[in-house]
Amino acid sequence: MKLNERSVAHYATCDSPADHAGFLRKRVERHHHHGHHHHATSYQRRWFVLKGNLLFYFEERESREPVGLVVLEGCTVELCEAAEEFAFAIRFDDAGARAYVLVADGQAAMEAWVKALSRASFDYMRLVVRELEKQLEEASKSLAACRKSPRRSSSSSRKRHLSNPALLPLQEKPTVLENGYCTWGSDGGGVPGGAACPDHDGGHMKPPPLPPRRRSAASSTAGSPAPGLSPAMPESPVSPETACFSKLHSWYGQEIVVLRREWQERQKRGHL
Amino acid sequence: AVLKKRLVKLVVNFLFYFRTDEAEPIGALLLEHCRITKEEENVFSISFVEEPERKYCFECDSKEQCQEWVEALKRASYEFMRRSLIFYRNEIQKMTGKDPLEQYGISEEARFQLGTRKQ
Repeated sequence: MKLNERSVAHYATCDSPADHAGFLRKRVERHHHHGHHHHATSYQRRWFVLKGNLLFYFEERESREPVGLVVLEGCTVELCEAAEEFAFAIRFDDAGARAYVLVADGQAAMEAWVKALSRASFDYMRLVVRELEKQLEEASKSLAACRKSPRRSSSSSRKRHLSNPALLPLQEKPTVLENGYCTWGSDGGGVPGGAACPDHDGGHMKPPPLPPRRRSAASSTAGSPAPGLSPAMPESPVSPETACFSKLHSWYGQEIVVLRREWQERQKRGHL
Repeated sequence: AVLKKRLVKLVVNFLFYFRTDEAEPIGALLLEHCRITKEEENVFSISFVEEPERKYCFECDSKEQCQEWVEALKRASYEFMRRSLIFYRNEIQKMTGKDPLEQYGISEEARFQLGTRKQ
């Protein structure tokens, strides 16, 4: 399966802010080869970086490329009754998909990770954005209602405009609304993610429209997501899309393993 | 350049593509830090910030379809949503004096803050 790995690695390692990062021990998922049965569980310490809905892991903190990628869609994050203390698991709706068992250094670290991962999905972000969009509309309307002038002008004076967000024409600036292109570059300066705070000069920009809603069995959540460690998202049905991500996960891990093995072979033979 | 017919699916911030009769994708593009450009007629392209000259081109059946895709893809990244959220939060705060994220208990989370923060 092809992937734009260079771009993915770039996104993982560029200086756009990570949502969470730290060392975790990851349980090694062994394949049971013919004749061998590995019973002992082992863990590998990896440097994990969460950016948006993507959880990357690196061999070392300074590594330039991730060795793994987990797309946090259609998954739940839960505490794990593993032999290890401070263990939690990322499990997917897709029954065939592998789970990720991770171990933190302590209680606080574990809680922070579970909280961050539970809220990392695209759907969660979209939910919050939609909610805020609604709130902004309501705030605009009530502000407009307050500002409406009671005087009726019978003359034909057209100079007077109601400085009212709801009435201003849509001023969409496509260049500003692109998805993060060059946003975090050193030439950015000023306000990062400049799209977020466009210049107002007294008026109000109409908020950027949202992507189309993905079909999902759950209705929109009323009220705020539950605090604490349980995932905030309503469960989405198993969809073919989650299978795509499983494929991506296993592909990503394998590719690197193969490359590393080849490199090690060459090293042994004295090449390089 | 040879054009191959593909089934293309936008799923969150990934663009998956399939051979038309297959269930498993043959490839995917992560849509972060990319630029979507409307090229000639019914064609749009996707390029990435670290390799801007390399363009992934897609030809659509109509200019309406092309426009739909361009609109959808421009808004498909997580980073775009994050910026929208920060925008709304800021606007609501200015209008009402209240932070709308407080009720969710996420107002302190780093990813929703204005201003750069180093890892």
